[in-house]
Amino acid sequence: MAKVIVNATHKGGEGKTTNSIVLAEYAALIKQFRTLIIDMDPQANFSGRYIKMSYDPAYQGGKIPPLHPDYEPDVDKDWDGRSGIANIFYGEEVIPYPTPLSNLELAPAHSVKLQEAEAVTKNEVREKVHLQLKRFLEQPDVQKSYDVIIIDTPPSKGPLTIAAIKAATHLIIPAQMEQFSIEGIYGMLQLWKQESYCRTNDNPIELVGILPNQIRNINIHRGFLNDLRNKEFTAKYVLPFEIKKRAVYTEILAENANPKSIFDLPENSSERIEYEVACRYIMERVFNHG
Amino acid sequence: MAKKKVFSIGSSLSAGLEETIAAAQNYSGELRIDVIPIKKIEVDDDNPRDLLITFHDLYHGIPEADTHRERKLEELESLQSIANSIKEQGVINPIVVYKQGDIYKLVAGERRTLASILANKNDIQAKILDGRPGELKIRMLQWIENIERADLSLWERLVNLEKIVNAFAEKKGIIPNQVTITDLSNLIGCAKSHAMNLKTVLHADQELKQLIATNKIRNLEKAALIVGIQSKELKRELISECLAGATFKRLKVLALQDNVKKVMQKTIEKRGRQTVAVNFGSTKNIIVAKFILDSLLNNASLSHITPHFKNINFTDHRSIAETFKNLIKKLEKIYA
Repeated sequence: MAKVIVNATHKGGEGKTTNSIVLAEYAALIKQFRTLIIDMDPQANFSGRYIKMSYDPAYQGGKIPPLHPDYEPDVDKDWDGRSGIANIFYGEEVIPYPTPLSNLELAPAHSVKLQEAEAVTKNEVREKVHLQLKRFLEQPDVQKSYDVIIIDTPPSKGPLTIAAIKAATHLIIPAQMEQFSIEGIYGMLQLWKQESYCRTNDNPIELVGILPNQIRNINIHRGFLNDLRNKEFTAKYVLPFEIKKRAVYTEILAENANPKSIFDLPENSSERIEYEVACRYIMERVFNHG
Repeated sequence: MAKKKVFSIGSSLSAGLEETIAAAQNYSGELRIDVIPIKKIEVDDDNPRDLLITFHDLYHGIPEADTHRERKLEELESLQSIANSIKEQGVINPIVVYKQGDIYKLVAGERRTLASILANKNDIQAKILDGRPGELKIRMLQWIENIERADLSLWERLVNLEKIVNAFAEKKGIIPNQVTITDLSNLIGCAKSHAMNLKTVLHADQELKQLIATNKIRNLEKAALIVGIQSKELKRELISECLAGATFKRLKVLALQDNVKKVMQKTIEKRGRQTVAVNFGSTKNIIVAKFILDSLLNNASLSHITPHFKNINFTDHRSIAETFKNLIKKLEKIYA
């Protein structure tokens, strides 16, 4: 069974997308896993890193996937050449895009279509949205094509995040050690709890852990982190390392960045080591669990 | 220098985090409720059923030649009223099943399932457990399911309870008799007095159990009262009064007679060491002492020893006591 790792928290700016990027590149480059990345965020940042997203002509600011490299207008008569993950909500095919990294394929976002799915309010329709991603990923074609699937989610608790959680085998909650972030952790734990209730013992949703992120050496960060580590119930769910707030983690996201990836840094650089240790631990948990 | 600021997560947020994680861990996989097709539901063979009527009977009719036809027709009638309510409201409480391959095995909710068939339903809400639960859990589930049922007879409750007690005893490695009232009240969540009545009636004799099984005695308190009667005749009297419809109050009054007899028959046991000597008591009154001594000494059969007791000083207590002791010693020699 392909592992499905979801980065989720409804607070924005915690590091979901960055973590998805680093973890995906670790899986594809270092571990050589066949990796599928899925961008469920209408902001489409995750997608934009690997393919050149187009601006939606119909909706200002919204992004849509570019024409697929395999698109042949003469042959593919009933396809417009674009295919994002949001297609699962419209009964259309999802055709992953290749990326500059071998072993890494992407099911990109489509801002408007994802936003429409997020805005679904009627109960019966919402239920359909919730299970769509799970159904898609359970398909034999998908299962046999990839070892690991990494999903980035929007900062929300809506149908898109829930769809990701319902499809997940593993959940990571990136979080800063600040008041609103801790409250965000609480909200995400609620979703995890609800989902746990419905799973069977042979198909659990494992909480890999809370990833202490963007840590600075200030009292509040230290204080909150220690608090979480010392409490009996949360202790085992806080990952045993921290990602410090470093310029390089945001620099690698820039369009013309050099280095482009954490893994372009020298192997002994402290920034690379810090995040690579985290990735190694996470991947080991995911693959050796149970 | 400014005081170092110490930060910790607020208590209510902390508590919230803790509760959520605990709940997720404790109930993971246990709250799966889904709608399942009735055709995929089967009775669990290891679970003795109380109904005779089967799924097959409902789909294809009760065969004419069926030996249990009459009982099945009765059951059908009682199922019909549940079926009517299901037609209106649906099944309010999901049945409980566990999955075995492609089939769902029934743990609790047989009546609801059969009634749903009668109500022409194809599927039913079910709570799906992960694998077959242990014996004690199954019996508890059945008990809890049945608590809501007003039509459950005393006998049906006792039968279920006996199974619970046996399963509990097996789990604890004791014999069923050793299951205490406290155990029972904790298991089924009732007052100790209620548990006491239940335990009493569980150990009733065959005759009484037969009366309960045939629904002649339907009230737990009355049954418990009757079991407690020692006297056979009184017990018979209470039973016939009960069958004739006597109130609990009346039966209690009758039962008091048993208690009165009990008090009379009770032997008073002495405490302390066994008494091996006789102590004749004491008195401060010299005249009384003189009287007793004189009476003894004037006894004809003691005429041969009275010469030894001629000069008794009757003004001194000690002298009288000494004299008495001597007398006893002499008598002991004679009557050794």
